[in-house]
Amino acid sequence: MFLAYNPSVPSVFSGTASTIALIVLLLEFGMLRQALLRGQVRLYAGQSLAVSALAAVVAFGHNVPELYALAVLSLLLKVIAVPLLVVGLLREAPDEIAGSGAVSVANAVLISIAVAAFGFFAVGVLGISSDVLPTVALSLAMAVVLVAFILMILRRDVVSQAIGFFSLENGASLASLVVAAGMPLILEVAFLFDLLVAVVVFGLLARTHHRRAQSLSTETLDRLRG
Amino acid sequence: MTGLPLPLIQGLQVITVAAGAPGVSGFIAWVEARLRGRRGPRISQPYFDLAKLFRKESLAPPAASPLFRLAPVVSFACYLTVPMLIPVLTSYPLPLGYMGDILGGGLILAFASFLVAAAAAETGDAYAQLASSRAKTFAAITEPVMLLVFFTVALITTTDLPYVLGATVRSGPDQIVRPAHLLVSAALFMVILYETGRIPVETHTGTTEFGMIESGRPFEYSGPDLALLHWGSAAKQLVLYVIFLNVFVAPWGLASSRSAIAVALAIPAILVKAVLLGCAIAVLDNSYAKLRLFKITEFVSAALLLAVLAVFTLYLGGG
Repeated sequence: MFLAYNPSVPSVFSGTASTIALIVLLLEFGMLRQALLRGQVRLYAGQSLAVSALAAVVAFGHNVPELYALAVLSLLLKVIAVPLLVVGLLREAPDEIAGSGAVSVANAVLISIAVAAFGFFAVGVLGISSDVLPTVALSLAMAVVLVAFILMILRRDVVSQAIGFFSLENGASLASLVVAAGMPLILEVAFLFDLLVAVVVFGLLARTHHRRAQSLSTETLDRLRG
Repeated sequence: MTGLPLPLIQGLQVITVAAGAPGVSGFIAWVEARLRGRRGPRISQPYFDLAKLFRKESLAPPAASPLFRLAPVVSFACYLTVPMLIPVLTSYPLPLGYMGDILGGGLILAFASFLVAAAAAETGDAYAQLASSRAKTFAAITEPVMLLVFFTVALITTTDLPYVLGATVRSGPDQIVRPAHLLVSAALFMVILYETGRIPVETHTGTTEFGMIESGRPFEYSGPDLALLHWGSAAKQLVLYVIFLNVFVAPWGLASSRSAIAVALAIPAILVKAVLLGCAIAVLDNSYAKLRLFKITEFVSAALLLAVLAVFTLYLGGG
């Protein structure tokens, strides 16, 4: 008979927090293969929900009441308002965005794994430690940002590129939860409304693009017109 | 301390898997039929099928070598060797449990699958050969996922013994919510879905030759040989379920002593757990459309992603 061996096990709190941060990253990877416009928006809503949940978990675990306010606000804005706005602006567009990747999905995932690994270990060696969240969450936030870049580079449709940009902000707010959980609420709120402006601008651009080109693909944009 | 002798419990593990496997397959087939609104076969149907096949005659293609007749027997023996290495009924290790670790069990399963594929390849039947070449091609791309799963288990427990991981998971909730454990369980689940012919391309009981991978290989077999192959694949499915349940996800309900009652209760416990997992898999299987054959890389790359992230989070100290 032997006992379970565990050199260093994260506590239940930090395990849960890292798992939620991981879900944010996994949903980012899901965006690489999503074939439907509404599915892509739904993935973004799910990712924002995970970020809000993480804010609530940190608020609960460390008694930071203002993070509850942030969680509720980001829930209202990023999980409900932004997806409704994007879907509303692109109501006339077809739902199909499959096959817009420059490389196949499996290759895109492999490239993203490599880039995410770079982000992981680049942040890991910095040795930034936080008193509210495990350090691995910061590495995950970095990976989310880098995979969002890959998403915007590899997928050639306006919806994925816009959603990639919005999810970049999700990665940034994940990072801000780790390094500066007590960041003044007013600053966070300013970021959120900044995002809302970006959503309106991107939504209108995508809508205009669809009206002109009759497609969501950006491949028609590299042609010169007289 | 009075109790059953250890070799008897060890033998019971093998008998549980061998006798329970057709029943679990039958139950899953019944659930699948109910999901599609059919009445479905009896749960005991696989036993009747096996009994029928064992009464018939075995035929071999004229050009086939002795390997053709040997493969069903040896692969069946392989599938029944693995239950000696993994915790089927007891939470404490049995004497032969140290004979091999998870990697050893994986090797034995791979060897059995190789034998069936090699025997199918020499029949000369186009479909059997197609199936065996497909099975080996896709086995090669799922193998990295399995290796990363083993690495993660080794990093968590510093050993690859399935009993230790089971005990580690039982030791507290902090071991369950840690991301490495969740990721690696999800990756293993995806590999099991693939290995048991559920998702993404194969139909489990299909009759279209073009969608066949694992189920296309026994095309040339008949009689007792075919029965052994069917029985073997049911046993393989149950072995994989047992590894997933008793080592990774739900290592509860095992006998912790040698008393006859505890061991006797552990037998229905594992069968019920396997049947519940089978129901979940049947629901999953029936709620997704099958993918095209070459989309299998997308499925495997998702499993690989989970396994790689498990190793990464462990190295960064947060897993």
